[in-house]
This record gives sequence, structure tokens and C-alpha cells, in this order.
Amino acid sequence: MPDSQPILEVHDLHVHFKMLAGIVRAVDGVDFTVERGRCLGIVGESGCGKSVTARSILRLLPSSDTSGQILYHPDGDGQPIDLVSLDAKGDAIRAIRGKDIAMIFQEPMTSLTPVYTIGEQIMESIRQHQNLTEEEAQELAISMLNKVGIPDAERRFGDYPHQMSGGMRQRVMIAIALCCEPRVLIADEPTTALDVTIQAQILRLIRSLQQDLDMSVIMITHDLAVIAQLADFVVVMYLGQMAEKAPVVELFQDPKHPYTQALLRSIVRPDTPPREQLHSISGSVPDPRNAPSGCRFRNRCPSVHDRCVEDPPVVQFGPQHSATCWLYVDE
Amino acid sequence: MPDTPILQVENLSKFFPVQRGLLRRTVGHVKAVNDVSFTVNKGECLGLVGESGCGKTTVARCLLRLVEPDQGRILLHGEQQTFDIASASRKEMLDVRRQMQIIFQDPFSSLDPRWRVTDVIAEPLMAQKVGRGEAGRRVLDILPTVGLGPHFADRFPHELSGGERQRVSIARALIVSPPLVVADEPVSALDVSVRSQIINLLLDLQSQMNLTYVFIAHDLSIVKHISHRIAVMYLGRLVELGTTQQVFEECKHPYTKALLASVLIPDPTHREQSYVLEGEVPSPLNPPSGCHFSTRCPFAQEQCSTEEPDLRDMGGGHWVRCHFADELDLSEEIFAPQFDTPTASN
Repeated sequence: MPDSQPILEVHDLHVHFKMLAGIVRAVDGVDFTVERGRCLGIVGESGCGKSVTARSILRLLPSSDTSGQILYHPDGDGQPIDLVSLDAKGDAIRAIRGKDIAMIFQEPMTSLTPVYTIGEQIMESIRQHQNLTEEEAQELAISMLNKVGIPDAERRFGDYPHQMSGGMRQRVMIAIALCCEPRVLIADEPTTALDVTIQAQILRLIRSLQQDLDMSVIMITHDLAVIAQLADFVVVMYLGQMAEKAPVVELFQDPKHPYTQALLRSIVRPDTPPREQLHSISGSVPDPRNAPSGCRFRNRCPSVHDRCVEDPPVVQFGPQHSATCWLYVDE
Repeated sequence: MPDTPILQVENLSKFFPVQRGLLRRTVGHVKAVNDVSFTVNKGECLGLVGESGCGKTTVARCLLRLVEPDQGRILLHGEQQTFDIASASRKEMLDVRRQMQIIFQDPFSSLDPRWRVTDVIAEPLMAQKVGRGEAGRRVLDILPTVGLGPHFADRFPHELSGGERQRVSIARALIVSPPLVVADEPVSALDVSVRSQIINLLLDLQSQMNLTYVFIAHDLSIVKHISHRIAVMYLGRLVELGTTQQVFEECKHPYTKALLASVLIPDPTHREQSYVLEGEVPSPLNPPSGCHFSTRCPFAQEQCSTEEPDLRDMGGGHWVRCHFADELDLSEEIFAPQFDTPTASN
């Protein structure tokens, strides 16, 4: 492998929310490494903790109970910074948020404020992190709009979000995220709200910017096809736990966790015989407050057995491939 | 299978007025559905696809008269008589709704939160003046058909998961035993692991009860899986209509081709197919002159921006709205590669 320098390491991350009805363990023991210039995909269904994981990297969940380590390796020989230890409202995280690590959200309709022009919103981020004059910031903002493929950028600079389509707004979000040349881009379901042809455009844009800027990407999605097209390395999550992690080709060709196997079998592929019954997973994702003990997938798992009431072990299948399941442990 | 039409849509149009200013003056019309015609045969599933704003949901709502069509006829061939839904009276619509029902996209907003499941499912029967006792019995009969136990009858929607709610919506549609069901994006709000359960259920019910579906979705791989024939819409116009084989394997319209090519393949070793269509869907308020797709079409000629093409019969029930449908070579090579394929893992 040419260069596998880690830029972000997440170790044993737990994020719990105290609710009236009890503690919701939204993320329960997640470990992964994001490498420089690579794309890590996090895939899972609603309630699996993928968005909470992403937000806790930027400390956007101040009221949660977060433990574990999130090590960010800045450029050069600087010491790694543990983001979990930083004050969520302090200057240290604010210097990283939007500058070194930037994020784009799922809803391009609601994540821009309607009362400022898109130009003002891009310049806000630029002037927060870079010591530029108004004119320089405006120039940079327009060049970013051009880079993300907004036609007639000088004129669109003064538009309000409601004057733009969903695809254009998502491009503006990407421009805001990229204007400070972040080392890591976190994309939380960036194309879910968009049409298929626009989805293909946005994904191509993220991929080409990733290569041009040598940026790392964390792609969060429920769509295995997006993962297949973009990710180099994949983490599969279910109800706050990590079910499996593997390099993308290995995950699709040789999935080990019964949940990954079932997910991959249940999607319609180009060669699926028409109108035949699809493989499906019985039941539905339980409410995170009533998650089963031990392996959280056990009440839907086709290979469930007695041991699954206890916490499953992490089993290694290769240097980078592991699954959290009892199935591969001899009794 | 002999093709007996159950639903014939002829020249259906729906224009929504756009009002501006203090006096709410009408400044234009959104041509949501513009002169759309198609036939649905008994026992088949017709897929209706297109991007947001193409008019597919408006077509669905016109079919049920949930919005009033402006022009055209919608002929429903019932067991005893034929109705023109577009001009049916209130009383006739009661009969129509016994023949045709709809399943909505979002099971979180299409069920009244204050109604128990049994009341939700029985509502169409109430509208048909069926007695309460009889209705209750029929609800208990239909629950197992959609894979729900009898204990679900007394629950409220908030106690159910997304998949269970969509099963309730399906039960509500099927309680009057309609031969025809319109499903508007029935699985797009569901989790991946639940989606395949609901598709399996819809397929099962179709063969058990000999149902006919109009299936509306934007997920092309699901539409391909479930449909016998497919209609593609763009900016209120039908641009291609044919069997699933014709539309997926032998498509003749450049828009259909672009739509198919933008489907992401769930296989990391095949990253090269995707073709990316440039630009966005123009505003339906002010669609391009001539062929509506001409502004994004890689093959557009001068004629395309001045003259609107007709929907032409290409033979075998395959209809295409393109001036150059006979001549275009829509083979793979013209579509540029998108991503590089990763090397096998190490």
C-alpha cells in the first residue's frame, strides 16, 4: 500500500444520550481509521448511529455523553489532537471545525439560512478561518462556486437559497465546506434528497475534488450503491454497533457478518431476475431504547444461537477486515 | 396473457395556475401533466418513472381524482361498466373507488395518528356504507394477508415501525378488493432491510389477488424489478413507453438512456458505467421550446429546439418522443467513464 497515513483515528467511541425514557446508546464502541486521501464509507439503516458518529467527530453534540478517542493528525509533524477532550464550544475545536474538518449535511433545503445570500454564507466561513480582505474573500468564494460547477457564479453569488434548486444548494454546501481546503470532508447522506441524475453529478464532483485536493472523505449513507461507487474502505453499523469493517471489494465479495450478508442479498441488482422474491431481513430495526442485549442484531439474525445474548467478539479475517459476531468463534 | 385494458388514459393534462402579487393574478401555468396517454392492462404492473417535478405524482392523483384533471379522459373498465373518471359524478366516484385505490409514499404522514389501525383500515368500507361489525371482521381477515397479526388492530400508528405502517396502508387500499392499485413511491421512505419485504409483499398480493398496479417510483432498479411495462416522464410529457425489456435494454430516448446510466451499480468492481447528465431539470413553469429535453440532450439538433416531437410508435408497443429515435446510436461507448475502478483489495 503506497501511503496509509492515518489522518483521523476513532477509538472505542461511545455516544450516549440521557433521555426521560432511559439512556440511548446511540454509538457503542466504534473504531475506525480514515487514511489520507481515501474515502471511508459508513453504511447503515436509520438509528444505526452513523450520523451521530459523524457529528461527534466535529463535537456537534455538546449535550451527549461522549467517551473514547478521536485522534486528528494535523499536517506536518504536529502532535495528534484528541477531539473528544476539547471543549465543544471552545476555540480549539472551532479552529478545526470548518477549516481542517468540514461537513456537508443531508438536507440542502434546510442547512442554508434563508436570510443571507449564498455568497455571504460562503464568505462567513472563509473570513472565520482565513485572514483575507472582503475582496479577496469574495474572489475566493466565486472561484469555489465555479469549482463546484455552478454556472454563472458571479451572478449566482448574490442569490438567496430559495432561488436555487436542490442540486445547486448542495453544490453551495460543498463550496462552503471546501473553501478552506479541509483535510477531511464528512458527507452525511449528501445525495439522499436529490434526483438520480443530480446524485450522479454530486458524487462525481466529490470524487474529483477528493482527488484534486488530496482530501479524505467520510461518506455516510444508507445506500450500498453509493458505497460501492465511492468508498475505499467500509464500516457497516447496526444500532450503534459496528457489525463489520473491510476494504470495499472484500466487503462486497466476501461479507462475513450476517447483517452485511443479508443487506447485500436484499438489494436489487442489474442481474436480479425480474419479479422474483427478493431476499429480505425479517422484522425491522428496533427502537434504540429497546435494543437487545448482547448482539443487537440477534432478534433478526438468521444464524442466531445461544451465545448471541452475550456481547460478540471482534473477529479478524485479514489485516483490515473484521466482523463483530459469534459465528466465527469455536465453542 | 391476452391484453385486456383495465385503465385507459387519453390526453390527460393538468395545469396548475401560478399566482403572484397582492391580487393573486395568474401569471402562468405549470404544465404538470401535458397530454399524457397510456393504457394499463389487466394483471400487469405499469411502472411510471421520472425525476422530481416530472408529473408522475400528479398523474397518480388525477387517476384517483384527488386533483381535478383539466383535459382528457380516464377510462376505467370495471366489472360491470366503464367509468370516465375525469368526468364522473360524486356517486360514480364511490363505485370507482371500489375498483381503484392508492398507496401513498410516506407511511408516517398518511395515517391519522389518532386513529387505531382497525379504524384506518376500515375507513374505505365506511365510505362504502358497510356496517361496523362487518367492517371489523373484514379488517381481521385482511391483517394476515399483509403479514400483520390480529393484535395490530388496536394499536395506534405511532406504535408501529415504518414497514408495519406501510403494511397498514396496503391493507387499507386492499380492503375493498379493488382490481387496480396505484402505488406512489410505496417503498422510498423505508429502510433498506424493510424495502425488500414490502416489494415481496406487493408481488405476492399481485399474484394472489390478481391485482393490477400502477407503480410510481424514482428508484429505477426497483421499478425494473416489479414492472411489466414502463412509462418515462420528463417535464409533464411522456417521453418513452414500452415493455421493461424495451425500455431497459433497447431504449430509444436519450433521456431514458441518461436516466438508466445514472443508476449506481452496487458493485465496487464496476465503477465505469455511470454517465452523468449535465445540467438540471428546467423549471416546469417555463419549459424549453421544442423538445423539452433539448437543453440537456447530448444529441440535440436545431430542429429539437424549435419543433416538439410527437410520441411515435416504434413497433411492438414501444413509443418514443424523439425526432431522431430511429437514427440515434445509444450504445455504451458514447457515455464517458466516470470513476476509476479500485484495484482488488490487498
